[in-house]
Amino acid sequence: MTGDFLALLPKNSFPSLSGEGRNPMPLEATTVFAFHCADGVIIGGDHRATAGHTIFSDRTEKILELDSHSLIAIAGVPAMAFEMARTLQTAFEFYRRSQLQTMSLPAKVRALSRLLRENLPATLQGIGAVAPLFVGVETSDPKARPVIFFYDPLGAHFEATAYAGSGSGMTTIKSLLHYLENWGHPSPAELPLDQAVVLANRLLMTAAEFDAATGGVHADQKEFATIKLLNSQGIRTISIQEQADFWKEAMP
Amino acid sequence: MTEEPYRWLEAISNRREYIRDQLKGGTPVFAVSRPEGILLLGVGQGQSKVFEIYDRHGLAALGHPVDIEKLRQGAIEAAHLEGFNRSARDVTLRRLISFSLSSMLKNAFEQVFAPPFIVEAIFAELGETEAQDTLVRLHYDGDHYYSSSRVVVAHRDGSTDAEAAEWVSKALTPSDPLSRVAGICLSAWQLLHDNKSFQGVTAPVETQLQIPGRVIEAALLDRQRPAPVHYRPLDFDRATSIPK
Repeated sequence: MTGDFLALLPKNSFPSLSGEGRNPMPLEATTVFAFHCADGVIIGGDHRATAGHTIFSDRTEKILELDSHSLIAIAGVPAMAFEMARTLQTAFEFYRRSQLQTMSLPAKVRALSRLLRENLPATLQGIGAVAPLFVGVETSDPKARPVIFFYDPLGAHFEATAYAGSGSGMTTIKSLLHYLENWGHPSPAELPLDQAVVLANRLLMTAAEFDAATGGVHADQKEFATIKLLNSQGIRTISIQEQADFWKEAMP
Repeated sequence: MTEEPYRWLEAISNRREYIRDQLKGGTPVFAVSRPEGILLLGVGQGQSKVFEIYDRHGLAALGHPVDIEKLRQGAIEAAHLEGFNRSARDVTLRRLISFSLSSMLKNAFEQVFAPPFIVEAIFAELGETEAQDTLVRLHYDGDHYYSSSRVVVAHRDGSTDAEAAEWVSKALTPSDPLSRVAGICLSAWQLLHDNKSFQGVTAPVETQLQIPGRVIEAALLDRQRPAPVHYRPLDFDRATSIPK
């Protein structure tokens, strides 16, 4: 008994992540991002899923909690990405319950790499590329700070020192975060939670301005980004009402 | 041997005797369904007796540590595969026990050339309300029953199990805080451990949450917890972990 849920799966029938047959029109495009703030790591994303030039959904949740101390932000083909998130959710809990200890952060990071690598055939066929962000904190170390990782579609992972982004709107957001980290006063890493949440929404609004596949923020209709905060205490979802209050406070 | 039915019956009978003998050193475990959730409690000397199985499921068991571990792993595997292939709501004790664990124990018990499970267990499933909670008593031979009582005790002997459960039930009132529920279970634990009768014994007004030289292990399948994971270990040294 190794606590490896992925090893258990092939012995039991379940649908393959990379199926065969005709290529469906993939759902794609998105904007997700993460950056350090004074209270931990902010991870946010829009709600839009597109298929070609069609808006498939404007109610998609792309920031998913994997366990009490790790999150994934999905970008790419949702069918694969959601399945990866669900697999990881089960694998992390399975490990924790069966081994009576939490999986280490490096092991969680590698588990996502492994799923991406196994998704290689779908990636190469052009129907299943996924480029997620992963944010986690090492639970065995009470002083540990949350860490941001970004991945390429083949499974290579890289630690981001200050911020990371993925999806079609990432260039805009990474440019803005780069500017703010280097010349902003205060920098995003120094912002308290309320200001970091406002910044996250403004980043998304800016990305939506230049990318049709990124869903925007409409404060007047109380449509905000999905935003979660991770620190050593765990995950906190910033509710729509909280975001509206922060937004109102920040208005000049 | 198996060609001769009477010998097989004799072997089974010997096996039952052997398992009961092996279980003599075990101490009881408790499951109590309360408005706050389901309390699982055991008292050990270094070996764990209370475990998390799935989002709304827990296990309390006594017996050989290796067999408890095999039962626990079997339950966790079956629950996670079901939860992954279907959904977390599809993981139910009725299916878990009937189609997976019970048959595993029965097979092991009746394979007279293989070692049986030396284990007595209680499985708990948290419902939306106290009335929807499910407590299942599972025996070493796969026999099991769904309890209609809010208190289930697993020990070496079925008659004392029922007597202890009834005593705990009568001692509890609906408004008792969880710390008192645990204290009453520990009083029952002490009586069972000392092989004393429950006849005429009243529950102490002041309950103790310590047993010298022993480790009290408890967990709550917490009904109030919003997260999908409802299992929460309770630490009796830290009063803040126990709901008042």
